[in-house]
Amino acid sequence: MKYLFLILENIQRSPVRTILTGLGTMVLVLVVTLVFTILTTLDRATTEKSQNLKGIVTEKWQIPSQMPWAYASSLTEGGAKDPGDIQPDDYMTWGFYLGSTESDPKKRDFTNIFFAFVMEPDKLLTMMDDLDTLEGDAKRDLQEAIARMETNRQGVIVGPGRLEKMNKRVGDRIKLYGRNFKDIDLEIEIVGTFPKGRYDESSVIRRDYLNASMDAYQQKNNGKPHPLADKTLNLVWLKLSDREKFSKVGQQIDKSASFTQPAVKFETASSGIAAFLEAYRDLIWGMRWLLAPACIATLSLIISNAISISVRERQKEFAVMKVLGFRPSQILLFVLTEALLIGTLSGVLSAAMTYGAINYGMGGLPFQIAFFPRFLVPIDCLWWGAAMGAGTAFAGSVIPAWSAQSVNVANVFAKVA
Amino acid sequence: MPEAEPCVRVDDVHKSFKRGSELVEVLKGLSLTVNEGEFVALMGPSGSGKTTLLNLIAGLDRPTTGDVWVRDACISSLTEGQLASWRTSGIGFVFQFYHLLPVLTAFRNVELPLLLLPLSASQRKAQVLNALELVGLPDRMYHRPGQLSGGQQQRVGIARAIVTDPALIVADEPTGDLDSKSADEILDLLGELKSSLGKTIIMVTHDPKAASRADRIVHLEKGQLVDDVPVLAGKK
Repeated sequence: MKYLFLILENIQRSPVRTILTGLGTMVLVLVVTLVFTILTTLDRATTEKSQNLKGIVTEKWQIPSQMPWAYASSLTEGGAKDPGDIQPDDYMTWGFYLGSTESDPKKRDFTNIFFAFVMEPDKLLTMMDDLDTLEGDAKRDLQEAIARMETNRQGVIVGPGRLEKMNKRVGDRIKLYGRNFKDIDLEIEIVGTFPKGRYDESSVIRRDYLNASMDAYQQKNNGKPHPLADKTLNLVWLKLSDREKFSKVGQQIDKSASFTQPAVKFETASSGIAAFLEAYRDLIWGMRWLLAPACIATLSLIISNAISISVRERQKEFAVMKVLGFRPSQILLFVLTEALLIGTLSGVLSAAMTYGAINYGMGGLPFQIAFFPRFLVPIDCLWWGAAMGAGTAFAGSVIPAWSAQSVNVANVFAKVA
Repeated sequence: MPEAEPCVRVDDVHKSFKRGSELVEVLKGLSLTVNEGEFVALMGPSGSGKTTLLNLIAGLDRPTTGDVWVRDACISSLTEGQLASWRTSGIGFVFQFYHLLPVLTAFRNVELPLLLLPLSASQRKAQVLNALELVGLPDRMYHRPGQLSGGQQQRVGIARAIVTDPALIVADEPTGDLDSKSADEILDLLGELKSSLGKTIIMVTHDPKAASRADRIVHLEKGQLVDDVPVLAGKK
């Protein structure tokens, strides 16, 4: 304890330098925490589970997958048709509708864009990641919104972020002008919102409303179907309780003659997401192996430089301490502990501030990749931050600390004289 | 009258430094004895080896050949760790430029060597107050070095040197950075430490007036002892 006070007094020597060193560490921890937030979330999403597996059926040879709606009824039963075949525990179909609230294509921008999952509303609470684990008021609010959607074919649920950007509120009616389904314009009514977070920018439209709009297009065009009429089913999600059932359903779908034009594949959600993320492979690789290490290396050098300057300035003091009887190892520990204290505290502080600001202030990190419009900073960042701050401070202070403990007293005072 | 015990014994010490490819011999077979309770002034021109000799006696450097004894310890044969422990309570060092730690108060500066000893906080406090009392600065204990005059800083430096109650105090031009009034006060204080507390003092100085306050003046020239004369009582 008596040495700790001495270290704390030394840290106050140059408040500006101490603050700058701390700020350097905080910036490092901020950047790396943001990068790790994205990487760990993606890692988690692509890690295979062994129970309560979710699988995805997609078109086998094409990205984006575009299957005919006719596949849905059989696929949602896992391709089961013979006695002994297995049916999934639950399912969900996904289509994607991209539209705009602006009729004039020239005026379309990010504020009036509208992206929606086309699906069965009752599957929101049983199959959608993160929504299937909702509890309390958030769950009750979403249940009520789903109930309103089920009684209103044109009802939609919209993420709070998107609602704010469009400057709309629950109860408003909007006309959407189709962008991926050209000329499929929808009249929708906002009946509820998602909880803040992952689905901030997303919306949900009823599948039967899109199908009815496709039929209406065909009637209006003298029986000529929409060019994408047979391509409205993008994904089918199936839930299975274990790997054995998962493999069996995979075989059922594989051997079924019903899914040949186009051919489909069934894989775990994690491999599906991993396959989807292949497009971002270089970006993710760069974040993991270039950006994060570059930040750590750069900040280590900056911190090392700050500590080196401080050690050089204090050579006489270290010499005096040696004259008074301090051992070289004690001086080494003083310098290391000073750096570790600043590094660890700055790291924890930065991580805690990042956690609070991103998760509670911003409702997640807005980095749109795959189906992850926002990333929540994991609570683990508190120990990453501390470890990173301590590690960087240690790496940056080893050489200055060694030089401090190696001070030659006779030489230092010879220079002074 | 009983014969005085030697406190410091320097036996045929040689000290060389390498400067580039050249070997510079700073001390050339120097021998010196300083008795317990004696106040010795080391004088000589620049480069004569005064500070080198002082560093050897303080265990801050090692002789190339020869031995340095302080009381019963041959300090030239101690390991780095043993030397560090010995310095904590075996010797007090007073610097020309005080070398107080600027972030610490006078109290904390004086307390610094005591942190290395197994003492409680209250024991340390009592010793620090005692040392500050001896140098006449108890009312400045919470001031930082920057808030003290040169003379006051040197007093704090002396308090730090005596706080562990060492038998030997070495001072490297302790008045070299002070005005004559402050210098006189510091020399009075060193004299007081010798006469009242029986400390052995070895002081390097260029100032004949300061040297005249010692019991003996040892002259060095080109690394050798050229003169060793007692100061007459009347001249002090």
